[in-house]
Amino acid sequence: MKNREVAIIGCGLHPWGRFPEKSQPELAVEAINMALEKANMDWREIEFIAAGSPLWVYDGEGVNNCLSGTAIERQMGNIGVPVVSTANACATGTATLMVACMAVASGEFDVAIAVAADKSAMGFFRPQSRNSRYDPDYQRFVMTGYTNPTYWGVETKRRMEEVGTTEEDLALIKVLVSKAGAKNPYARYKKVFTMEEVLNSPMVCDPLRLYEICSTSDGAGAVIVTSLDKAKKYTDKPVIVEGVTIGTGSFGDQSLPLYMLSAFPRPGVPTLTESRNAIARTYKMAREQYNRRCPEDIDVIELPDNTSWHYLVYLDCILDLKPGEAEEMIRRGDTDPIDGKIPVCPSGGLASCGESVAAQGLYQVKSAVDQLKGEAGESQVKKDVKVALAQTYGYAGNNAACLLSRGW
Amino acid sequence: MNTKEKNKVPLIEDMFKWPSDEPRIIASRCKKCGTVSFPKLTFCQNPSCEKKRENIEVIELSNKGKLYSYTVQRYKPPEPFRYEPYKPYGIGMVDFPEGIRIWGMITRMDNLKIGMNVKTTAGKLYEDEENEYLTWMWEPVD
Ligand SMILES: [Zn+2]
Repeated sequence: MKNREVAIIGCGLHPWGRFPEKSQPELAVEAINMALEKANMDWREIEFIAAGSPLWVYDGEGVNNCLSGTAIERQMGNIGVPVVSTANACATGTATLMVACMAVASGEFDVAIAVAADKSAMGFFRPQSRNSRYDPDYQRFVMTGYTNPTYWGVETKRRMEEVGTTEEDLALIKVLVSKAGAKNPYARYKKVFTMEEVLNSPMVCDPLRLYEICSTSDGAGAVIVTSLDKAKKYTDKPVIVEGVTIGTGSFGDQSLPLYMLSAFPRPGVPTLTESRNAIARTYKMAREQYNRRCPEDIDVIELPDNTSWHYLVYLDCILDLKPGEAEEMIRRGDTDPIDGKIPVCPSGGLASCGESVAAQGLYQVKSAVDQLKGEAGESQVKKDVKVALAQTYGYAGNNAACLLSRGW
Repeated sequence: MNTKEKNKVPLIEDMFKWPSDEPRIIASRCKKCGTVSFPKLTFCQNPSCEKKRENIEVIELSNKGKLYSYTVQRYKPPEPFRYEPYKPYGIGMVDFPEGIRIWGMITRMDNLKIGMNVKTTAGKLYEDEENEYLTWMWEPVD
């Protein structure tokens, strides 16, 4: 980052799953404990806290959601440092990392933590108010029955017509990603799926089937950052944050941020601009400061496989592919999560975790960090990893990207 | 037995023209740059355009458009969505001549095709003692 280089010195996770017996702040504490241990650090050394706020203010834990940082700091013990709580839907975890990195890069703080815990609502997501005049999420839901997967189904159907994506392609993605999930101790689903099992799973929103859509989970992540020059005090293997940002869309986007009832597509504006803008900014940060060539230098990708459609469109966005190239890549096995040319989702992705919305970005960052350090155990990819990208997709046009490299 | 007809009312007012023989989507348009928004907005969403209430006019869209794409919701969504008696439904986005693409339920779930012509109509979501609650829907006309 400009002004001061920033490095990750410790990551922690609470495993993904369902934990009704624990509150969100409790999940966060377990992730923080692990991150502190990795960084050989005491809680009192933290100077700044950026916490992620889950969306489920009504269905979830109320004040623990909207004031997540306050609740987590209280559970860890008040240490009187600045806390911000930020809500960016599925980009929340990475947003907390961006804020923590900027706090350190500015020189104002030496050690900052990004943390988020989320017990995501089960099943189809639903609006959190009954305000028919001002809540657009309520309006779209009651007037059209437009669940998130309906949008993904609509776009998948369109892609099939335009690009020639097949039902087998959609199933193959689940098969590929599940191979890695089975090897990740933090993943929720450890089953390796066959093509037949995926293709025989019930249709949810045509052409998307049950096993091609991620479920929702509880989980928590924490990432501690400091300046690169101070990082060696805490770890032999600091991981450099070459770029991290959240992204928003551009006016005239061809696609539709979830919850909006309409798009106003303008000529020359692409799809998923919130994602393309986040990726472009991250690449620019890495290019200007580290002479990074993007996407050529990226060795491994964690992308948001909310559905098999997402996996394809995020390959498009991250690698700047032509229509149909993503399908060719998966058919050739280029993106195999362990031994592919460019491994994708060695963590098992959202397909194997279920999305814990606010925490998901930090899960991806931890996976990327483990790959760089060679600490991913059975899910360590075969190729040498020097540069890793973590990318999220989110509700209402929230997106984030983070590019990491070895700092040793 | 009382067979009095129930009132047919939009579940949320002011999103489509009702009562009408030809229901249409109610949107807003910027008089300066032509940007169309739905649901209608108070300010123009074009970032290069000034934010003045008086620039915005309320319009009714054409009642015909083309189906951009579609799907079928096979499972019942949770409350507060109510569609009774529940059955799976077609749902999709329609491109209107005014340049805007809009979501809506479709009056059927079979024999749908990308690019087919549809018209805007009103359909029932559910009813209570007094009212039938309506929303806009896309009706294939090819
Ligand atoms: Zn305007």
